[in-house]
Amino acid sequence: MKQQSKLSAEQQQQHAAEQQTQAPPAREFASAEELLRYDAAHTTVPPGIARRLQKSAGDLPAPKTSWWQRLFGGGKS
Amino acid sequence: MLMSEPTAEYEPLTGPSAELASAEFSSLYAENSRAIYYLALRYLSDPQKAEDATHDVFLKAFRKLDQFRGEASLRTWLYRIAINHCQNLRQSWHERHVFSNADDAVWENAMARTDSPLRVLETKELGQRIQKTLDALPEEYRLLLLLVADEELSYEEVSELVGQSPDAVRGKLHRARKLFAAIFGKTA
Repeated sequence: MKQQSKLSAEQQQQHAAEQQTQAPPAREFASAEELLRYDAAHTTVPPGIARRLQKSAGDLPAPKTSWWQRLFGGGKS
Repeated sequence: MLMSEPTAEYEPLTGPSAELASAEFSSLYAENSRAIYYLALRYLSDPQKAEDATHDVFLKAFRKLDQFRGEASLRTWLYRIAINHCQNLRQSWHERHVFSNADDAVWENAMARTDSPLRVLETKELGQRIQKTLDALPEEYRLLLLLVADEELSYEEVSELVGQSPDAVRGKLHRARKLFAAIFGKTA
């Protein structure tokens, strides 16, 4: 009984080791869009863009008619 | 050109108004930068150019936001600026597609063999495979798939962005999907 449980433990260890070395299961995408959506979700926007934009936008004068006034009310026209 | 150049007069903005503008623009960027960067990345096929393009698109948007009429969603409006910008860049590079002049029979044969789902065993190089596939597609199909992949856009909005009827978009999308699957299968 003791030997049996030892074997079982060894088998379990072997099984666990095999599972670790096995390749991950294939992932399936029903369509190109689904695949692109997955890709987009795992794409990181470089943080440098925001920094550059902050500097560039800061150097610009703001529009005379505020866009946020048009969007959120209180616009001039 | 789908977008006209900015015509608004400008004056310095300071104090609370400037802070409000900055906060709203930050929000606009946070909500849309991934979509615009992803379009630029996969459309231009160059991370550095995509980064520059995304910067330029949002800067244009910042300058033109006073011209935004609210007839389309902000996302659609940003896409329009991005598409124009990227298309201008591509035209200036005189880039050509590998299969753009391929015989129709070649396309038909390639597409006929692809009705199964897209299987991916290794996600590490998935981006490269996707890029390779998109690069091999006709430009029209590439843009169409990238836009339709954005769930925030309706077919009607995609149609407007590509300048075609919804029916034409559906037909082309069907072919684009099959062709994508055919080429993607060969990149494994």
